[in-house]
Amino acid sequence: MRPVYVIGAGMTRFGRSEWPLVDLAAAASLAALHHADLGKIPVNAVVVANMGAGRINRQTAIASALVDRLSLWPAAAEAVENGPASGASAVKVGYQAIASGMADVVLVTGVEMMRAVDGLEATDFVASLSHPEAEYIYGVTLPSLAGLFARLFMERYGVERRHLALVAIKNHDNAMKNPYAHIHQPVTMEGILTSPEAVVNNPPVAEPLHMFDCCPVSDGAAALVLASQDIAAKLGAPRVLVAGIGQATDTHAVHERQDPTDLKAVRLASAAAFDRAGLKPSDIDVAELHDAFTILEIAESEAAGFFKVGQAHKAVERGETKLTGKLPINPSGGLKAKGHPVGATGVAQLVELAWQLRGEAGERQIAKAKTAYACNFGGFGNNVVATVLRKEER
Amino acid sequence: MSEKVHAFRCMTCGLVSYPKHAVCPKCRGETFEPTEIAGEGAVLTYTDVYALAVDYETRYLRLAIVELDGGMRVTGQLLDEHPKIGTRVRTVVGVVREPAGKPIYGLQFVPA
Ligand SMILES: [Zn+2]
Repeated sequence: MRPVYVIGAGMTRFGRSEWPLVDLAAAASLAALHHADLGKIPVNAVVVANMGAGRINRQTAIASALVDRLSLWPAAAEAVENGPASGASAVKVGYQAIASGMADVVLVTGVEMMRAVDGLEATDFVASLSHPEAEYIYGVTLPSLAGLFARLFMERYGVERRHLALVAIKNHDNAMKNPYAHIHQPVTMEGILTSPEAVVNNPPVAEPLHMFDCCPVSDGAAALVLASQDIAAKLGAPRVLVAGIGQATDTHAVHERQDPTDLKAVRLASAAAFDRAGLKPSDIDVAELHDAFTILEIAESEAAGFFKVGQAHKAVERGETKLTGKLPINPSGGLKAKGHPVGATGVAQLVELAWQLRGEAGERQIAKAKTAYACNFGGFGNNVVATVLRKEER
Repeated sequence: MSEKVHAFRCMTCGLVSYPKHAVCPKCRGETFEPTEIAGEGAVLTYTDVYALAVDYETRYLRLAIVELDGGMRVTGQLLDEHPKIGTRVRTVVGVVREPAGKPIYGLQFVPA
């Protein structure tokens, strides 16, 4: 396989978009293409990550639409729908195209316009990824799967609501330093947990999870330009290597897993990504995890191998996952505060990490970051893509 | 719409699984017979979910995963005023969702 490099990264601010879907995707794509500064080098293929345009925006075949908007004909184009893991899946498709020699330059754009519909419809659109007969008919939504998971995980490992609150506080703090984040609002332990007002400020969503344990519903787009070694060298771009990608699936119904607190697909996908990269979890300088719910940041950080099972909440308490800690997690603000336009999320995680490795992450820059890991968690853990990036010295 | 909920017994190795797979996760057998899900078990985990999607008018739903005696697990609605992990419950079948006035029957759990 040929090595694949990230040579450009860009995104829109997450939140509520004034633009139609394809304009939003085009804005992120142009930011990444300008960042890559390709000159006359053609884009051979465009891969779009998106989960719901056909349903919630009533537009299909959006990869063809994006090629047209960007006048990139005759580039190959396809959309990837893989639930909330669509983003990293699309990056994988682009990676494979270059690694195999089928393409030299690929644009990967993730986009989602969830606020085009009301909250009920947006929740139902995401809930439709659950098992139709064994989960969905009971009123299962993603927050409810997270609530069921959180209650069991917290009981088993002694995780308390204050640990979850610490994750939220950290990610909101990080998002204050990220101009692209959906939410710019610092939160405090008093405000969301310990004061009498917290009961009103932070109502339950799926017990034991409350509002400040859950990501917002966002519009947004993010894009990467991937290239072969020859092209990356020709452009003199910083050498951000896609060092390893791993993917694994698990049972559709959460109840069917041998241990429902074990995020097996995260474990297997991460192990494969680290193996391909020739790195260990302890080698990683910065990570973006899929914290659609605060409990997931804790559980994924264990399943990925950064902490022993049952220990991550203690590391959070010691501040190890803050920007200044041993392993900064979600410097972007994570899904919790940067926002979660589902199809865009997996791409946006890698945009943040590419910026971190290039030293372009502004106020939230992790000094001397050379290795990075992302976990894009699809379904409720039944389809996970893990990616390891590494900066090569020239 | 059936008022019974079925698991599937593999005709090759006897494993009962739920929901349905076209291939047995244990022996890769491809023939199954439906077997009614009914009985007692213990609450493995539960949640009160306020983030409801379409089809519900209630303020929240109490959902649970129950481990049935015999080991198979099921997801359903918990009808228990005082939910706790480990509580003994038994399965009943009731209307769990009613899109456009069309009742859908599914598993509910009541204290045993
Ligand atoms: Zn079998």
